[in-house]
Amino acid sequence: MAVETKLPPVLDIIRSNIVKYGNPLAMKGSEVASWAKGLNLPKRGDILFYTGGEYQLLPFIDSLVKTMTHIDQGSKGFSLMMGVRNILDKAGFNAEKVYASVLAKDRERYNRVCNKAAHILQRLGYDLCYPGDEELYSGALLYELGFWEDLKEYAQKVVDMIERTGAKTIVCLSPHAAEVLKLIYPQMVPGFSAEIKTFVEMVWEQRDKLPAIPTSKPVVIHDSCRLARELEVDEEIRDILQAVGVPIVEAYRNKKWTTCCGGPSKLLFPELSHTMGSRRVDELEETGAEIILTSCPYCLASLEGGQAKGDKTTVEDLIEFLYRGFAA
Amino acid sequence: MKLDLTKDFAEYAKDLNQASRDANIQKAMARAVKSYRDTTAETMKRYPHTPDLALEVQGIKTNAIENNPDLLQQAMASVERNKGKAFYAKDAEAALALAAQIIGKGKTVVKGKSMLGEEIHLREYLEEQGTEVWETDLGEFILQLKKERPMHILSPAIHVPREQVAEIFSKFFGKEVPPDIAAEVAQVREFMRDKYFTADVGISGANVVAADTGAMVIIENEGNVRLSTGAPPVHIVMVGIEKIVPTFSDAMKVAEVTWRYAQYGIPGYVNIISGPSKTGDIEKVTTYGAHGPKEFYVIFVDNGRSLMARDERFSQALHCLRCGGCMYECPVFQVTAGHFGYTYLGGIGSIWTAFVSGGLEKAAPLLYTCLRCGRCVERCPMSINVPEMVGQLRKMIVNGEQIGDGDLTLAATVGNASQALSS
Ligand code: SF4
Repeated sequence: MAVETKLPPVLDIIRSNIVKYGNPLAMKGSEVASWAKGLNLPKRGDILFYTGGEYQLLPFIDSLVKTMTHIDQGSKGFSLMMGVRNILDKAGFNAEKVYASVLAKDRERYNRVCNKAAHILQRLGYDLCYPGDEELYSGALLYELGFWEDLKEYAQKVVDMIERTGAKTIVCLSPHAAEVLKLIYPQMVPGFSAEIKTFVEMVWEQRDKLPAIPTSKPVVIHDSCRLARELEVDEEIRDILQAVGVPIVEAYRNKKWTTCCGGPSKLLFPELSHTMGSRRVDELEETGAEIILTSCPYCLASLEGGQAKGDKTTVEDLIEFLYRGFAA
Repeated sequence: MKLDLTKDFAEYAKDLNQASRDANIQKAMARAVKSYRDTTAETMKRYPHTPDLALEVQGIKTNAIENNPDLLQQAMASVERNKGKAFYAKDAEAALALAAQIIGKGKTVVKGKSMLGEEIHLREYLEEQGTEVWETDLGEFILQLKKERPMHILSPAIHVPREQVAEIFSKFFGKEVPPDIAAEVAQVREFMRDKYFTADVGISGANVVAADTGAMVIIENEGNVRLSTGAPPVHIVMVGIEKIVPTFSDAMKVAEVTWRYAQYGIPGYVNIISGPSKTGDIEKVTTYGAHGPKEFYVIFVDNGRSLMARDERFSQALHCLRCGGCMYECPVFQVTAGHFGYTYLGGIGSIWTAFVSGGLEKAAPLLYTCLRCGRCVERCPMSINVPEMVGQLRKMIVNGEQIGDGDLTLAATVGNASQALSS
């Protein structure tokens, strides 16, 4: 007998946003692609630069979570809400305005991550293409949350999008996208065989071309779970940093034994997620390093969120850190 | 059928948050995690063959679960050959009814620690039947007095610091017990001693069962299992069917891996019990009940396990040795202890909850708590892929599928095993 189970509404919000809008938070394609303005990346090519919209949506996730923490998820009002853009409308605010003003700075920063990543890869000699406002989210959360039936259909759309670019290699900025494209898609979309690479792997292959980053201060690496365990990419990050002449200190738990940033439970258990994020920050700070590097959008957001007020450390994405070498 | 879990999730989230702010839990967990990591690292260094042995045990367990119906029959036959009595209980009710039947009315029972006991609510059931039950494991005893459920499978009272223990004991024993661990332990020792020798029945679980010999292997440190399985005139073993492995030497390997990953290093005691106590010292006439129990019963409990065994997506969950290692490495468990759990705890616990203790409904909040971060897989001596199974179960919830949907072989297997019992 089939049982229809009602789960916390946030799960269905995320699900239907992905299915309907191609993005967990129903962002517009033009918003997702705004970072690429002026770069004139071609829509077709051998190497597809794939953001999946994940860095771009970071500032909005926090808003969604903040809103959820203040609204009873079981209430009728909540279940009426769909997507991030009308959440605050229902509470009497104008969402567009709130986001535009409060988060302009964050928005800018995370958009810049995509920009910097493309810049680095181009400078390393890769010819990138980018589908612009047609880019779709990978659907990793559909997999994560159990919506496998939806993913089966959705993945086909993503594969169509990929195929229109003619690319043979896909560079994923997010390890979550890389995981789902590399390990799950082949089971769901027969014949899907594009080569899936992470940003880290692409950089690693050309690391000799990276400009040095002048610093004597050691950094600590927070390995993302997906990257270190499912994708088995950990030494590569060390190699890259060695190539740019940056000393590394290792956390007590690292590589395959890395501690999760707590990010995955942000939607359903935000307080717990925050606690885990700060505990991981503590672990990383025990090394004495002042810069914490990671290579995953959700780790980046969770660790930043987990920093204590007045914390002296900075949390940066590997992309941002490597870009220092080019900006200098 | 419709099931609204939004309230359950909200209450559960509150409970998790409270746990993560509880100073006692945080203090105790920090100590426990550190001590687990230190001890394990040290003993792995001293016994460097352990990871290889764990790999071998993975093979043993995989085969054993595949052949579980056969091994169950063999194990039951071995127990009977050893002059014990073996039973198969297909679910919790059957297991409880069997136990109650053996024990009888108005008796006193001393009990060793057993997750299976928690799963079927053994103590509560027996108490309702008018039986006096004493948990002899120190941690369980504390919880029995505190009326709480275990917060870790091996250190059930992991969240209770000595100060609180002193309070609880002072109240129960009706005299001042200082917040001194040695004094607390001594107090319980004195109290329990009398119980062992006046109890009518001792009940224990088993960590491993060897099918060929009918040997029950029980690992412990306190010595409470020795006493509660040795002193009373009747011993009942209640054990999950997944604990059976083919041979005695397999069982030894499983036991060693279990205790190594369970932070025992070297356990104080490994009990091997295969039948009632006996002697042939007078005229070579075998007589039962020499110093130990005269009667020996084994109840093999299924309660959803064979369903798990037959589903290739989930059979690996039955390889779990209950070493508890994964929980120390779980970022959620580290801050919430057993609040991330129902009867069974942590990520692996969410799988067990779905199949044997609570169903998908109780498992759902746990399944959605798991970060699917995968560090437990690194720790697990059996490399059990919990995140993978969590994903499968989330999918089942979302699709409205139920545990055991489409399982047609169940009735047949259970029927056979029951027949074996009555013949
Ligand atoms: S899942 Fe693995 S690590 Fe966890 S208790 Fe079971 S055997 Fe031990």
